Amino acid sequence: MKRVVVLGGGIGGTTVANRIRRLLANEVAGGQVQIQVVDREGIHAYQPGFLMVVFDKMRPEETKQAESHLLHRSIELVKAEVEKVDAAQKKVLLKGGREMTYDLLVIASGSVLHPELVPGFSEAAHTFYDLSNAEKLRDALRSFPGGRIVVNVAGLPYKCPVAPLEVTFMLDDFLRSRGIRDKSEIHYTYPIPKVFGIDTVAPVMQKLMVDRGISIHVPFNVQTIDPAKKSMTSLEGDTLTFDLLVGIPPHRGADFLQASGLGDKGNWVPTDRYALTADGKEGIFVLGDATNIPISKAGSTADYEAEVVAQNVASVVRGGGPTARYEGRVYCWIMTGLTQATYIKFDYLHPPHPPTPSFAHYWNKTIYNRAYWDMTARAMF
Amino acid sequence: MSAETVPPASSPRRVIDARGSWCPGPLMELIAAIREEDVGTELELLSSDEGSRKDVPLWLEKAGQTLVGMTSEGGVDHYLIRKVR
Repeated sequence: MKRVVVLGGGIGGTTVANRIRRLLANEVAGGQVQIQVVDREGIHAYQPGFLMVVFDKMRPEETKQAESHLLHRSIELVKAEVEKVDAAQKKVLLKGGREMTYDLLVIASGSVLHPELVPGFSEAAHTFYDLSNAEKLRDALRSFPGGRIVVNVAGLPYKCPVAPLEVTFMLDDFLRSRGIRDKSEIHYTYPIPKVFGIDTVAPVMQKLMVDRGISIHVPFNVQTIDPAKKSMTSLEGDTLTFDLLVGIPPHRGADFLQASGLGDKGNWVPTDRYALTADGKEGIFVLGDATNIPISKAGSTADYEAEVVAQNVASVVRGGGPTARYEGRVYCWIMTGLTQATYIKFDYLHPPHPPTPSFAHYWNKTIYNRAYWDMTARAMF
Repeated sequence: MSAETVPPASSPRRVIDARGSWCPGPLMELIAAIREEDVGTELELLSSDEGSRKDVPLWLEKAGQTLVGMTSEGGVDHYLIRKVR
């Protein structure tokens, strides 16, 4: 029997497991292939929903489901934390001592937030990259009387690269709808000398900010935050004060990757950008945030990569080679207000050109927020 | 600042090999290294990314750091930087 082990029950791990199962339906049903997904909590989060929670556009309970309800019934869910991967022996060691052997491994362990890397961040910053903090930011906004808001990205890479843009535009719209925009300032900071990393997108977003009276501070690499004084200083020597700080903390890959000798300095796995195989490691595929590929760490990236990895896993199980290629496809909606959006669609060779923001794009995004569970996680299409 | 040559190292030089990384990868690797090193340290950034030719000098100017020199050879740009603050 061939064992396929998937590490991670986020969007990438869940959809790739379901896709592999579908491609190898006969082998799985016949007992020639076993698929196992390892996930620490067994709870699946629709992470783009957290931003929607901040602005009361989704309820918290709409952003989570039991992982066991999303995986096909023939896939085993192992609720455990990964300690280490032994690539030479093709084994996964779990905390608690259990060992799993594999023939093919898919690393979909995502990214991990590290607010402690910026002194003062945890005490001073609101974030929306996990559900409980998104709810706290929502509550803070409900009672916000107006004032100075700073949006800060602590470093690159981070997941959902458009999210800082989105929260900035949504904050602007929110303050206008509450009638307190004239009592407020919004300051957007970003670590590089432009408001976004993609050259065809940055000027479009910058113009939207200028048109809406949003102040831009780039490059701004936060060094320390003083929660008492409500101020932050940057590596470049600038200081900003705030009444409300919305921060995106530093990201790293999962800790076990470093312990396994699979991660680079940021714990991202060096990965072939087309084949999605771990460099120099036999039988290991990588997808989603876990890779070191210089492309958006976004849900759609993981979804498109999962299509490729599933095809390659199925091919290898049947004695073929990993011939499917990931061409760098990414698709992200960008909320440009509470009821309008645009999107970026691109690949390695074709940069994005976001269309004029509209209600129609927002509506599509809203539909996808509901369709995600069946369409993407369960991989029904 | 523009410069055409990378002079010999006058002190221990940290090499940051960001070849194969796309913008803003080389700049972010440089920023991480600047955070770690002491004032006076020389750093040599290797980059094969064209977009970084604009962003790296822009950031250095904004951050008040010194671009001592830059050369290009075989598709690789060598930026010599001194941390001065």
